[in-house]
Amino acid sequence: MKKSIKREARTEQLFFDDPAVDGLMGVLMSLATDHYVLRDRVQLLERQLVRSGHLDVLALEASATAEEAVAANEDAAAFATELLRPLLGLQETAGIGGRFSLKKHKRRARS
Amino acid sequence: MITPRSLEAGQRFLLAAKKWWTADLYQHLRQEYAAQAGAEAARHDVADVAKVLEDLTEYRYFAWLERHLQRMKYSGTYGLARYYDQRREAVLPQLQDVEKQDGILELRPGLPLPRYYTSVDIHQHPGGVWSDEVAGFVYEHGARTTTPMLGADHADLHTRFTSMVGNLMTPQKILDLGCGFGKSTQPFYSAFSQAQVEGIDLSAPCLRLAAHTARAAGATNVHFRQRDAADTGYSAGSFDLVTSTMLLHETPPEPLDTLIEEAARVLEPGGRMIHLDFHHLPDAFARFMFYGHGRRNNEPYMQPVAELDVRKLLQRHGFADIRIEPFSEAEGLGVHRTDLWRLPWTVISARKSSPGAKSKVGRTSRSSKHTRGSRT
Repeated sequence: MKKSIKREARTEQLFFDDPAVDGLMGVLMSLATDHYVLRDRVQLLERQLVRSGHLDVLALEASATAEEAVAANEDAAAFATELLRPLLGLQETAGIGGRFSLKKHKRRARS
Repeated sequence: MITPRSLEAGQRFLLAAKKWWTADLYQHLRQEYAAQAGAEAARHDVADVAKVLEDLTEYRYFAWLERHLQRMKYSGTYGLARYYDQRREAVLPQLQDVEKQDGILELRPGLPLPRYYTSVDIHQHPGGVWSDEVAGFVYEHGARTTTPMLGADHADLHTRFTSMVGNLMTPQKILDLGCGFGKSTQPFYSAFSQAQVEGIDLSAPCLRLAAHTARAAGATNVHFRQRDAADTGYSAGSFDLVTSTMLLHETPPEPLDTLIEEAARVLEPGGRMIHLDFHHLPDAFARFMFYGHGRRNNEPYMQPVAELDVRKLLQRHGFADIRIEPFSEAEGLGVHRTDLWRLPWTVISARKSSPGAKSKVGRTSRSSKHTRGSRT
């Protein structure tokens, strides 16, 4: 099946004097999205468990098995990669990079 | 693996953030500009607005959010492109036979795609709307769920546009240029059931979805074909209505000139060309925001098309009764909102006044630049 074409890496647009702020905004928003998704899921689970009478708070605090620990580590690695990827400052798509300004813009009549 | 519920929650958050950006942050920015510019605002051009706004921290946040909420919509952890990449085995089979049945769909795998179309991923859609087999699903989902309409229904835009056309004429032969996944075409083949409707686009994945949707709706008066709007391959005088929705601003001025020439050619004398696009920019502030949007949303031709003298362009190609008017995207939203960031929806309509479009002087003819397909 035909997948999306591979693009060359392009530097992302910048909006702040210090590119660090651009990157940190990305980290923050990525984290915020995941936070919201998790909150949605936890709320759903809690509702379901309370309704069915199966909520066992003690089980939530139990130690992980070795197998569970491996899975948890993989999950954490994927989460960290997603969270920190905006710091690379690369575009996800093919567009114009860098800063731009319209301060010297003069409207040109076209026909 | 992104589950449907996680996708829904992630996209819900992004839409909520976009609504805040559209209303609260935009209002704040507008007020800040008004306070700093004062009475001078009326005399400002785009560069003057830029001098006031570009160094404001609030503007930096506004611009960042515009760029990156859109990026996250497609490419983020809960992005649509990622979601459909993971679900391609589940969604693609439904489109498998759409080419084989009843001729509703004509694809041309060898059709050369213009460089302006392939070199930029419009809307920050990874790989553009054309390169991936699931691109139609991604595009359709994005248009359906993550446009901040503030309570209004975005589908209403297309229905209302079709109704507006219906107030002007009862078309019998309709050509929808750049029809995408058929969202703009659907109200035409539904509202004008006596008409024959042709939808053309460069994107095969979008056309497949358009044809599938039309067949599922039981439509028998529409065909979708993979063709270039600047070189449609239809015989002269084939249509009494040529329309497009959100196509012109994605087309650089030179191919746009060819597109208008082609529209004039395929229209019958007295036929109408009616486009729904972005053009009405009442002040320098609106123009500044729109130009920035084009840059941030990977739509680089928004600015040059907004700076075109469209009336002159249409006149040059033999059009008359030219009207360029703002259009309200939804009931109750109005056309001159200063409290919300909205795209400058505009209807550009004209009538072909003579048999055959005027020939142009000093321009390369279309047929010398493109491979013309067979006539239909």
